[in-house]
Amino acid sequence: MADRYSFSLTTFSPSGKLVQIEYALNAVNQGVTALGIKATNGIVLATEKKSSSPLIDPPSLSKISLITPDIGMVYAGMGPDYRVLVDKARKVSHTGYKRIYNEYPPTRILVQDVARVVQEATQSGGVRPYGVSLLVAGWDEGVEPETGEAHKDDDPEKTPGKTGGIRKGGPSLYQVDPSGSYYPWKATAIGKHATSAKTFLEKRYTEGMELEDAIHIALLTLKETIEGEMNGDTIEIGIVGPPADHLLGFEGVEGAKGPRFRKLTKGQIEDYLTNL
Amino acid sequence: MTSLMDHPSRGETIGYSFSQPTAAPVKEHSFYPYTDNGGSTLGITGSDFAILAGDTRSTSGYNINSRMVPKVFKIGGDDETGEGAHILLSVVGFAADGNALKERLDTVVKMYKYQHGKSMSVGACAQRLSTILYQKRFFPYYVHAILAGLDEEGKGALYSYDPVGSYEREQCRAAGAASSLIMPFLDNQVNFKNQYIPGSGEGHALEPKKAEPLPQETVKQLVRDAFTSAVERHIEVGDHLQVMIITKDGVEEVYHPLKKD
Amino acid sequence: MANPFDINGGACVAMVGKDCVAIACDLRLGMQSLTVSNNFPKIFNYAPSTYLGLTGLATDVNTVSDLFRYKVNMYRLREERHIAPQTLANLVSSSLYEKRFGPFFISPVIAGINHTSGKPFICGFDSIGCIDLAKDFIVSGTASDQLFGTCEGLWEPDLSPEDLFETISQALLSGVDRDALSGWGAQVYIIEKDKVTQRLLKGRQD
Repeated sequence: MADRYSFSLTTFSPSGKLVQIEYALNAVNQGVTALGIKATNGIVLATEKKSSSPLIDPPSLSKISLITPDIGMVYAGMGPDYRVLVDKARKVSHTGYKRIYNEYPPTRILVQDVARVVQEATQSGGVRPYGVSLLVAGWDEGVEPETGEAHKDDDPEKTPGKTGGIRKGGPSLYQVDPSGSYYPWKATAIGKHATSAKTFLEKRYTEGMELEDAIHIALLTLKETIEGEMNGDTIEIGIVGPPADHLLGFEGVEGAKGPRFRKLTKGQIEDYLTNL
Repeated sequence: MTSLMDHPSRGETIGYSFSQPTAAPVKEHSFYPYTDNGGSTLGITGSDFAILAGDTRSTSGYNINSRMVPKVFKIGGDDETGEGAHILLSVVGFAADGNALKERLDTVVKMYKYQHGKSMSVGACAQRLSTILYQKRFFPYYVHAILAGLDEEGKGALYSYDPVGSYEREQCRAAGAASSLIMPFLDNQVNFKNQYIPGSGEGHALEPKKAEPLPQETVKQLVRDAFTSAVERHIEVGDHLQVMIITKDGVEEVYHPLKKD
Repeated sequence: MANPFDINGGACVAMVGKDCVAIACDLRLGMQSLTVSNNFPKIFNYAPSTYLGLTGLATDVNTVSDLFRYKVNMYRLREERHIAPQTLANLVSSSLYEKRFGPFFISPVIAGINHTSGKPFICGFDSIGCIDLAKDFIVSGTASDQLFGTCEGLWEPDLSPEDLFETISQALLSGVDRDALSGWGAQVYIIEKDKVTQRLLKGRQD
């Protein structure tokens, strides 16, 4: 009788765990490794693009997605679930923010909104949790005027909040899990080889690193864990860097700024690989 | 929809077998004899002069009928050009009524001179204009009139009227479409309303700045500023600014360009 | 019934100066021609150097000022930062347009200095949220015609904070004196980068 009225699939086990979420995490941990590294002037997201058959047309596969012009996302876990979340993230960035404030959400706000969607799937009836972990990378314009002076950290009014306030602006990298938890990182990895990749990153990550170094380290990390060959077709890289005005599709409009988030082309990836 | 269509219109009644055949439905005709032709006028007096100014645009609704319809007239002159006139009249509102009023007052002032052998004083003309307007109390001249001249002492005299003849002598007055924009500006700049003498006291002891007759050049500039401002924010005002200055030496008339958009 | 925008009366004006902005309102609250209160300020503060002036139907002025207090508080808690004048303008716009077919009977005005760029910002709205971005001044309320006249006549570019105060005060006082539904004192805010000066003006008490 009790199970008749138990609509929720995500139910506490007597030990206090939500096993459905643990299963979802298992799905993530079987997924293809994805990683992200934050640099001083940008962020790199990288993953392996594995195809199950040599007949698959690789360029049509895309695992790194643009959410807003300054925010991008990659995943480990179930592809279909990821695509649903990309749709919802893009939608909520407009309905929950741009249509209200006429500007795109800061990274943390978008991450919170996506995390809410993910969390709701752990508490709603008739649904299962999402089988993905996400890495969200974005750039925020700071609200403090750029003075060139060093930031005073002892001023409580001006220090960033605990979840990464955006007073100073700059890059931020977050991980979102199937439970709806999210964490800010300097560098991290998710998926099958996340543990070894993170150990590798811990060794190679240095404070004050620039985007080019970060891309280099991202490829080195990927090389450690990759199962197939490494080339422009099997690697996917997304970066958050300086505004890419050439991607606007027009020029001569005053104040128009290109997207900071962009995916590297096959040629660009291969250039980095030859210099590896 | 059906209920609206089936509803008997006014004048129609339900026909019973015992009732007389009903008359054809009554059609309502209406005729509104007035039009607002827009525009604005403004008058300011000084110690020995009076200025009357008005834009020259004539509108009806959002249309511009003409960009050159003067609203300021010389009254009681010796010929068609108004030569020798010592009274000015501006009319704004319904242009046809304005013209009719101008013609009537002009005739009256001329007749006065013929019959009395002397020019009509501004004060007398002001009173006469009031009676002319009031005579049409129940079918008024739809205009705001301003009358200007020099009084017996040679000081600038300015009289403003409502459409039915209520009038008052004033230092300055704006009338017409942009009067609500111009009048508070004049209060501040001509009568120094809300201005105080700095350092003259604290709180209620602070002395208001007293209004005194302004020099002609200052007034000319104020008139032009008032109109350039009004043109900026009112669509019925523009094209040209007609300015008439009356002094003991006679009437000087000048036109200045205004924005035509 | 009378026009809801004109029942209670009131006026508001915002002006840009050199590295400063000013916003001012009258203090009257009336019911048609009867004055009910001479202490009804129409300017509300939502962040350091970000102010919103609301004229129109008094009940909507209260409702909308409270609504934005809630919305801006939520914004500050969520984003851990103060709302910028431009962002508030877009929030006001979208919030008013939500009520496109049953609008609040108000004419809002925003004045502030953007903390990031240091630039002055003013704008006005119609009751359904259409933004009116202006480089010089914005007026609203039952004395808006009069204020257009005085502001257009008195305002000039790059006024210092002191001159801006004098200009906005003269424009407002002379404007409301020619409107029966506005006046009974005024409140003026002069907003500089790191300083806000609030002044009360007595004005005509009729």
